[in-house]
Amino acid sequence: MNRSSAMKAPAGLQARMLLTIFLLGVVYVALMAALFASGASGITIGLVAAGLFVFQLVAAEKIGLRAMGAEEVSPREAPELHAMVERLCVQADLPKPKIAVMRTSMPNAFAMGRSKKAATVAVTTGIMEILSPAELEGVLAHELAHIRHRDVMIMTLVSFFASIASMILQFGFLFGGGDDDENPGFLALVLVALAVYVVSFFLMSALSRYREFAADRGAAELTRRPSALSSALMKISGTMERIPEQDLRAHSELAAFYIARPSTKSLFALFSTHPPMEKRIAALEALERQIQGTAGAQPLPA
Amino acid sequence: MGFLDSLLGRSRTPKPAKKDRLFAMSTAYVTLDTAHGMTNGGKAGLVFQAEATSDFARIVADAEEVLRATGEETGTQVEVSDDKFGYRWVVVSDPDVEDLVVGLSAIKDSLDVGGYGARILAAVFKFTREGGRDAYFIYNVKRGLWYPFVPGEGEQVRDNEAELRLKAQLGGELPMEPELERWFPLWGVPL
Repeated sequence: MNRSSAMKAPAGLQARMLLTIFLLGVVYVALMAALFASGASGITIGLVAAGLFVFQLVAAEKIGLRAMGAEEVSPREAPELHAMVERLCVQADLPKPKIAVMRTSMPNAFAMGRSKKAATVAVTTGIMEILSPAELEGVLAHELAHIRHRDVMIMTLVSFFASIASMILQFGFLFGGGDDDENPGFLALVLVALAVYVVSFFLMSALSRYREFAADRGAAELTRRPSALSSALMKISGTMERIPEQDLRAHSELAAFYIARPSTKSLFALFSTHPPMEKRIAALEALERQIQGTAGAQPLPA
Repeated sequence: MGFLDSLLGRSRTPKPAKKDRLFAMSTAYVTLDTAHGMTNGGKAGLVFQAEATSDFARIVADAEEVLRATGEETGTQVEVSDDKFGYRWVVVSDPDVEDLVVGLSAIKDSLDVGGYGARILAAVFKFTREGGRDAYFIYNVKRGLWYPFVPGEGEQVRDNEAELRLKAQLGGELPMEPELERWFPLWGVPL
């Protein structure tokens, strides 16, 4: 029996992830076809978007951190946080990411960066205050799992075509008004772009939720203490509902990388980047049972 | 981790390196002592993340027991403690470095055989430099590589110069971690 690697691969979760990625691919192929069919203007838009994409990939980390008000901290400024991340990195055989802290009472954490070598883990002062060391370790392991899974890269990649579609839409609204008869192909392109934008939005939200589950699982695999992460999530969500909205400086793109969704109210499940807390806690509970060896042959609710 | 593992969000905690180089210390310490004036501190520890399962506790207890029993002949002493990060240390004391290596290796192997090899973080050996200051050699079990850790004066200060000197001097005998950014410190080592 090989216990340490005995945690079963979440087949259901991975199948859904693959299906989502596949569907996104289908949608994007349709958009590409429309771009080429519409001729020169379509290709220009594609090129501009590609340039923006490269910029986004290179600069996203810095821009994101600045937008969040996160400041990098040295080992001397935050020795315990650094020590905790270092030990997890040794355990996961990862290079150490940069560590940043945001001064806000809202408890949260996120990971940024396009690769394992250029990554940052940021936590708020709020989360360090309310969580116990074991819980904080769970949260950090969750963020490191995002880095290991290259979630920032993957979500940026899948949002690439969605941003092309949104550019075409804006372009269409600006210039599409007058001479319809001159370029009927362009109107069709705008319509395709609209469809792509809407569909890919749902698919991306779904993918982001699946990757959240995967990161929880990765954290559990690393620390082998899923219950510590559960209790962290409960504490975070409990506090988050009480804290007023004006504290949120997040916009939706960044929200995909948070440990928990900043606003738990008034968002439809389909739009949300994070699965509901109860589902995550239930999944972690199943992992805990598996680790404790009482799960038997029960499939995981992945 | 491969491309598909990333795409599907699968991660596994790496196991100890296939090529175990823990035993490199049982010869390297001679050079440290004779050529570099670093005396063996008589203590070494294995640090791992304790798991909250009953068989894990049993495996560690059994390994400890065996070590204590053999320790009566060799004079090796064993202590177990938890640090503030929730990691467990099995610390063995023996004036003979070879006995320290054998002791830590025994615990490492029992964890490995029990299926908990992925829980082990590192093995740490303590040395005393000229002038009475401490220096440590850390064996990263997952990578199968060694690196020096020399605390400097003040909090969270490392004596990088001394560390790099040790790397240059011992590179031939201890397989050294080439990526300096992976020379993770272990502050507050209970050795």
